[in-house]
Amino acid sequence: MGMLGFYLRKLITIFKGEVLVLPSRIVVFLFFLVLLLLPVVSQDPYLLRILILASIFAILAASWDLLSGFTGQMNFGHALFFGVGAYSSALLNLHVHIPPWGSIPLGALAAVLAGLIIGIPCLRLRGTYLALTTLAFPIILMGIVFAIPGITGGELGVSGLSRLSSSRLYDYYITVVLMLGLCTIMWKITDSNTGIIFHAIREDELAVRTSGINVTRYKLLAFSLSGFFAGISGGLYAHFMRIAGPSTLEVSMSFTVVIWAVFGGIVTIYGPVGAVFILFPLLEFFRFWPEFRMLMFAVVILLILLYMPNGILPWVRDKIEKECPRCKIRNVATRKTCRVCTASLD
Amino acid sequence: MKRSKLLLSVLLVACLLMAVGMPAYAAKVIKIGVIGPMKFVQGKGHWNGATMAAEEINAKGGIQVGNEKMKLEVIKVDSNEFLSMTDATNAMELAITRHKVDFLVGGFRTEAVLAMQDIAMDHNKIFIGCGAAHPELCTRVAKDYKRYKYFFRGTPFNSMYLVKVCFIHLATVGGIMKKALGIPKIKVAIVGEKAVWVEPMVAVTKKYLPKLGMELAGIWRPSAVATDATAELSAVQRTGAHIVFTIFSSSVGITFARQAGELKIPAAMVGINVEAQKDGFYEATERMGNYVMTMNTYARGVESNELTKPFVTKYMKKFGEVPTYTADTYTAIVYGLVPTIEQAGTLDADKLVAILENREYKVPAGKVKYSKDAQGRHLHDLTWGPGYLTSLGVQWQDGELKGVWPNRWKAAKGAPEITYKGIVPYKIAPWIIKEYKK
Amino acid sequence: MIADIIISGLINGSVYALLAIGFSLIFGAARIVNLAHTAFYMLASYCIYYATHRLGVHPIPAMLVAIVLVTLIGLICYKLFIDPIREHEAAVLIATIALAMAMQEIMLLIFTGDYLSVPALVRGYLKIFGVKIAYQQLLTFGVALLILAGVWALLKKTRVGLAIRSTAQDREVANLMGMNESRVAMMTMGVSVGLAAFAGAVVVPLKVVDPHMWMYPLIMMMAVVVLGGLGSLKGSFAGAYILGFAESLVVFLIPLGAFLKGSVALSIMIIVLLIRPEGLFGIAFEEER
Repeated sequence: MGMLGFYLRKLITIFKGEVLVLPSRIVVFLFFLVLLLLPVVSQDPYLLRILILASIFAILAASWDLLSGFTGQMNFGHALFFGVGAYSSALLNLHVHIPPWGSIPLGALAAVLAGLIIGIPCLRLRGTYLALTTLAFPIILMGIVFAIPGITGGELGVSGLSRLSSSRLYDYYITVVLMLGLCTIMWKITDSNTGIIFHAIREDELAVRTSGINVTRYKLLAFSLSGFFAGISGGLYAHFMRIAGPSTLEVSMSFTVVIWAVFGGIVTIYGPVGAVFILFPLLEFFRFWPEFRMLMFAVVILLILLYMPNGILPWVRDKIEKECPRCKIRNVATRKTCRVCTASLD
Repeated sequence: MKRSKLLLSVLLVACLLMAVGMPAYAAKVIKIGVIGPMKFVQGKGHWNGATMAAEEINAKGGIQVGNEKMKLEVIKVDSNEFLSMTDATNAMELAITRHKVDFLVGGFRTEAVLAMQDIAMDHNKIFIGCGAAHPELCTRVAKDYKRYKYFFRGTPFNSMYLVKVCFIHLATVGGIMKKALGIPKIKVAIVGEKAVWVEPMVAVTKKYLPKLGMELAGIWRPSAVATDATAELSAVQRTGAHIVFTIFSSSVGITFARQAGELKIPAAMVGINVEAQKDGFYEATERMGNYVMTMNTYARGVESNELTKPFVTKYMKKFGEVPTYTADTYTAIVYGLVPTIEQAGTLDADKLVAILENREYKVPAGKVKYSKDAQGRHLHDLTWGPGYLTSLGVQWQDGELKGVWPNRWKAAKGAPEITYKGIVPYKIAPWIIKEYKK
Repeated sequence: MIADIIISGLINGSVYALLAIGFSLIFGAARIVNLAHTAFYMLASYCIYYATHRLGVHPIPAMLVAIVLVTLIGLICYKLFIDPIREHEAAVLIATIALAMAMQEIMLLIFTGDYLSVPALVRGYLKIFGVKIAYQQLLTFGVALLILAGVWALLKKTRVGLAIRSTAQDREVANLMGMNESRVAMMTMGVSVGLAAFAGAVVVPLKVVDPHMWMYPLIMMMAVVVLGGLGSLKGSFAGAYILGFAESLVVFLIPLGAFLKGSVALSIMIIVLLIRPEGLFGIAFEEER
């Protein structure tokens, strides 16, 4: 009993010392809390559906950021991973009767393979060449999908898949927990040694190579990791919608992912996640004006980019937090002195 | 600064609440959700048919449900299915959980309808499909009756019958050309857009042509949205084909017809060309689209039975154009749902299904009877045949869409000849006559 | 058959060349990847449709008006949305996508999703080597070549062209030499959008007009530009004809796989990039510029 009290007090101290100190961390904590406890307040299936889809797309957008934001390999064909993950888990589920908890990881592995396949030709390409080449891959795959309709179902896709779970509530918790978990993992990756190397590859590839690091291996690793997470989101999507169709490979899907990530802020994992949770419900909300929906969406994006070209979340973060000039630790913007080194924050 | 922040956050919360908590409407109204691609012609047809139905029913005082009369309300739900599958499924769920509709009509793109059907079945809502022709939608009903029984096909009849009617058209035109131009053996070129629904049609047509006494000139598969068909047309002309059997549902139908007209390709076009069913086709082909023949459900001046003319005239007066087959949401509501509700005296879906699936009733396009499969299981699919639904063959003549089939058509050996009122004879294009007439 | 392929390839190639050169110009001079390029092409098509079908104007003045109007709109959009964020290349990319989407939606709102068309300038056809070619196709081909020659003349013989070329080669040095770099970027944008509008005017009588018509040409155009080498006009020209012929070959030799022409063209692009990562005429080290 005493032990429990001890750990509880320790938890509270850590909480007060680490989380409550910075508004951005409070926001993240509240985000976790709200998502996990939402079903206590409302179990409206429409609301849950929106959040489930938002979580799935959040994983997708975050995986894009891992590859294109951190490693600088601008990937305009992210729909490829999404589609490969969706189709693979769909086919495995339908023909080999593997249940979702098996077919989704296996589908993600197929997406990893796809990542390696497209990573290898992309090793020598830079910048816009890379972006446009990656754009081509999902289109080619779509052509193949239409060419073998016997297996892929052509434009009808693969349907009749088993559900994620037996109820909407369980679906919700599975996707939300997965999303929070995977995004945290991705964030941890970017904070690790590997993440630093990814950063460096983006900044100056030549310098990284001269430092003796095998750039090829790390680039391929980035492609594979990004493919894995995107493949998981593809598999989740297929099983939630119970159909995997060519719409998962469309150019507009690739573009939408890029839009979300850049809108939310690249080179942060939380940026794309936040952007999806802002933009996707917003798009649904705009449903009340069906003719103007996409137009308003495009206008919102244009305006935000004009004023916050680095993305909306970094902009917000810069407004509510200040960096200490001496020790580089972040502080709440309202503070006058740094919380760690007491230097003046003006 | 602090005050405006408060104001902003209050506004934000208000917006969120508005989005999250749409009030449920009071009862005394039957709500029918009309779901379709509202920005496109198919969705517009869905909505027009439904609003016309609602106005007509409400003008008569409403629907008698047991002891009370209830008004009909139709709710527009844009599925945006051409562009986004997630939108379509979200829309279906929105309609059911937020708008709390009692029934659903509409749907067009098969990939989307398959997914939307699942959602409607989850909530045990009667869903009458008005646009998708894939047989799978109804075989699901037979295979898992308990779950899928709430689905009925409203229009069109399924793609297997589509093929049958196409072949009848092909045989008819082939016969006319053979007689008029003295051609010993008709050569047919199959040009079908690259789409899954076309695959079985191409295969079946290939097998069937010899039985019709015709020869296959070749098979071409342009993209459904191809903007240039000159390559295919040149190749077709080289083979000396007399007829081009078209299987188009998208914009390639316009491109193909226009370029064929401009280049005066000496081959008659028969088959399926969905764009050619629309009034705007002639303009869209820059007036080169004459002599194109396709299937359709309604045409100006053609009557399948006594209900056709009032429906078509009323629709044309209200909306200025001939109804496309997706406007059969009108039929689904006025002749399908409403009499069933009045007969049952309740809105209970199970009771309604039990009555509807056994009804046989007249509609402007013919007569609806829901079919069963070979094992006698309910399919809730439409029956095809003379006396039921046959659809029409229409041809563009002088810038107008005229009905040309059934014209003295015998459904089987020894069967009576059928000609609908208002049918005119088929015309062969003058450049074809010039090319082949001996 | 050969005649078919050659003629079809030439016409396709000319259309792609028109689009690709505009795209290449603005990338070379201002480092802007303008993904809304084909959206301007669509805008011009709709303007011409509106003028000819709704206002009853003759096609030729309609085309001229459309070109001028679309160029103006392009310049305004550039000034409002792209110029302020030019340093953030990623943001510019997204902004152009959003712009293209906005234009698509506006067209969808005004004209709905129906398929429309624009009247041909010349009716009728003629037979060359046994192939029936519509006069309009020949006209398109001829005008495309004329415009390409015009652009070449603009770039090589005029001072404006000189400014554009030097900015494309090395932005900072051009600035040092006294060329107002942002003004050159504006001019290049004008020429680029003008070319897209021209392409719309010239090509649109052959095609079907709908709000999504900008997507496929965008992909092919990007493939052409990448194949030829970004920023290289020679490369865009060559790449356009290579991919144009590739498409024709697919359609004629594999009629059953005609829908694969896009995929085949893109695969060719990828294979070339594997061998030469900077495209056919591109520059290997961007940092050298």
